[in-house]
Amino acid sequence: MAISTTELKAAIIAALNLQDITPAQIDDDAPLFGAGLGLDSIDALELVVMLEKNYRIVIKDIEEGRPAFQSVRTLAAFIEAKQAS
Amino acid sequence: MASPFITARNTVNNADVAAARLGPRFGRMDLTSQFALLAVESFAAHFDSMPRERIAICLAVRAGSLATDLEYWKGRDAAGGPSPTLFTYTLPSAAIGEIAIRHRLTGPGLCFVSGGDELLAEATDLIERGEADGCVCVFANVVSPGLVEMISTAPATSAHAFFVRRGKPHEASSGSDIETV
Repeated sequence: MAISTTELKAAIIAALNLQDITPAQIDDDAPLFGAGLGLDSIDALELVVMLEKNYRIVIKDIEEGRPAFQSVRTLAAFIEAKQAS
Repeated sequence: MASPFITARNTVNNADVAAARLGPRFGRMDLTSQFALLAVESFAAHFDSMPRERIAICLAVRAGSLATDLEYWKGRDAAGGPSPTLFTYTLPSAAIGEIAIRHRLTGPGLCFVSGGDELLAEATDLIERGEADGCVCVFANVVSPGLVEMISTAPATSAHAFFVRRGKPHEASSGSDIETV
């Protein structure tokens, strides 16, 4: 099932309690960490929890999640691939 | 040498915090950090008057981090476990870090689990011993509804902050150099 990037952005905003940021302000291809959205390592852990809560995807090895957390688009593709497997 | 004196002060309540917009990171902080950070915000301009590494932070938290500890404990049954972000705030001194990061203050930090009565004396001591030129003092009183039953006290959400600095005679208010808090 295709994952809506808008829905995913809303889930990220809610999970990280990002104030004054709307899904429309987040570029699908912008880096989530460092420049771009400016998330940090604690946020990465929070996103892992969000994936389990919202999509029932468990990431046990952070190396597995690293490529997925590049951007909203890569994260959406990761979720789709996990749900299809 | 002139005695340290209070040069600014501020109090914040629930409504202030609810309306606060201190950037996207503010929302992820625990309540104690939000109250403490906002209480300091109104006099942040005073920090420009001295080197940031010479500014200390003294924090008093009446209920420690119990409100956050409780929230974290409740989260253990949730899918994925409790919030990792919340975990970073399960320390009474967490708000010191948030204030230091936001205002780039790298002086000493002291944390007390108390009613805040010692803040002025501790700040004065730090300055008079030459460890700092100024000191941000914050008392945060956060007792969440969930905590009320546990510690048998009334709910509370407020913070009071003031800035103490090394005094110059012409800057001090008349009378005593140190105001009564």
